[in-house]
Amino acid sequence: MAALLEVDGLTKAFGGLIAVNDMSLSVSPGEVLGLIGPNGSGKTTLLNLIAGTIRSDAGTIRIGGEDVTRLPNHLRVRKRINRTFQLVRMPPNLPAIVGVMAGVMYGAEPKRYKDAEYEAAGILGELNLLLKAGYRLDQLTYIEQKRVELARALATKPRVLLLDEWLSGLSPGELDGGMSVVWSLAAQGIAVILVEHVMTAVRALCSRVVVMNAGVKIAEGPPGEVLRDAEVIRAYLGDDDAA
Amino acid sequence: MRVSLAIIALALLVAALAAVPWLVSDYGLGFMINLMCYLVLTVAWALFSGTTRYVSLATAAFFGLGAYTVAMLIKEMPIYTTFGVALVLGTLMALLVGLVTLRISGMFFVIFGFGLSELMRELLVWWEINKTHTMGRYVFVPFNTTMIYEHLLGLAVLVFLVGWLLRRSRLGVALLVIGDDETMARQAGINVPVAKLVIFVISSVFMTAVGAVMAPRFGYLTPNFAFNPLISFQVVIMALLGGMQRLWGPVLGVVPLVLLSEFLQVRFPFWFSVFLGLVFMIIVYFLPRGITGLVEDGWRVLRRPISLPRGVTGPLIDVWGSLSRPISLPRGIAGLVEDIWARLVRRQPTGGR
Repeated sequence: MAALLEVDGLTKAFGGLIAVNDMSLSVSPGEVLGLIGPNGSGKTTLLNLIAGTIRSDAGTIRIGGEDVTRLPNHLRVRKRINRTFQLVRMPPNLPAIVGVMAGVMYGAEPKRYKDAEYEAAGILGELNLLLKAGYRLDQLTYIEQKRVELARALATKPRVLLLDEWLSGLSPGELDGGMSVVWSLAAQGIAVILVEHVMTAVRALCSRVVVMNAGVKIAEGPPGEVLRDAEVIRAYLGDDDAA
Repeated sequence: MRVSLAIIALALLVAALAAVPWLVSDYGLGFMINLMCYLVLTVAWALFSGTTRYVSLATAAFFGLGAYTVAMLIKEMPIYTTFGVALVLGTLMALLVGLVTLRISGMFFVIFGFGLSELMRELLVWWEINKTHTMGRYVFVPFNTTMIYEHLLGLAVLVFLVGWLLRRSRLGVALLVIGDDETMARQAGINVPVAKLVIFVISSVFMTAVGAVMAPRFGYLTPNFAFNPLISFQVVIMALLGGMQRLWGPVLGVVPLVLLSEFLQVRFPFWFSVFLGLVFMIIVYFLPRGITGLVEDGWRVLRRPISLPRGVTGPLIDVWGSLSRPISLPRGIAGLVEDIWARLVRRQPTGGR
């Protein structure tokens, strides 16, 4: 299938530190791409670059063939790229539904206030959160917070969804629920990039995995093969275990 | 049904307020003008600062711009034309200031707003002394106090209407979200700088309009008077005292402070600033959500079912118990202060809705 998101030669340096170095990857509709690597390898920075949270120094980002590299964050949202954050970002003092409504009203298919209210409620309902619509973020459990944030991302009607450790820190039962949510997103044709440390989820969900270390791609392929790759093991565990 | 009742009640209120000039004395009308003036300024201020959480001290700059534009042009053209010119100038200045400053944050924005009104004051003083050789302008027009009051009332209705519509609009939701988490707002697709700019312009235009309408009230205007920084500070304190989570919140701050300023300026003219400072400290320390917060908490307590599992005597025993406990200050007075402080801080609700 033709790639929906194409990232080519993306580079970002913070002062002397090259956090993301000449990274290229692509995702097709309905595909779940795993993005793994040790802490500090540049996964979240790469996600920030793709979503437009920060600007890149070099390289291009295309969605459906259209170059979005120069677009600011909010316009990339309207080009149907959205994300969740590693630490949940929703308005802390507002009812959960308000953040979701903002997504509906300013997303790829903008709605008026009245319609947005219904649609936001519908999205929350699909994620089993309808009863929590009026709750503030600190009144929700951890998994509910993550789901509310996903609802906000889905409200903008994304074609590319970047999930930054969205499955981390969940109990085994919650993990199953979370994984089936990601499955259903892919089944709807959304291209998902999953930054994750939970390897069971990566193995189960991803058809392809990209491994990063120190800002560069060190391996790419099906999860079974890649996780056996000597360089990947070295990156995670050090030289002694790679033999 | 409830909505239409509320509309009728509000219409009656506005009608009653509109009839005020024929019901009260001249002094009373002067007081009402003062009240309306600060009401519009404060609600307009809260429209911008309450949602985006930028503390603006530029109120005097826009108020002064409106007032002084009218004062300078009143001899050249009809009064409504001067109002129009003032509004155009106010819009242009708000656009310019907004574009320049809304990217800077926090303290810098506060200082900029203050600096702006001082700059305009000094510039006009220089201009009037060196170029026009006048210091002060007379505004004598057939625009009496009743007219001024009715215009201010109109502005008040308008500013509330704008605020009410805003709460139910795309822009309103965008502003709520921006005030709470700007990064998330961008990620929801909101154009953050534009949203901030729009609300800043709306708010500033109202301030300019109030200044323009108030110009005939003063009769004689100097730059020092039109760009009085006290206006900016008073508006901030009124809005904070009232609380900004509700549209009507500022009313609860404006009314008591205008009443008090009236009283203090007659009896103890030099103590008003001191008092304003005290009010400010009290708000910051004890009333983070303003009087609105107190009212809401009180309402919640009243609605809660009363439960007295130990009867009326229970609370009495508790009070007696705490009173009869021997006073001990193991950590001295400082410790006591710390404890009270800790309790106050812990009791502060997290704010918001």
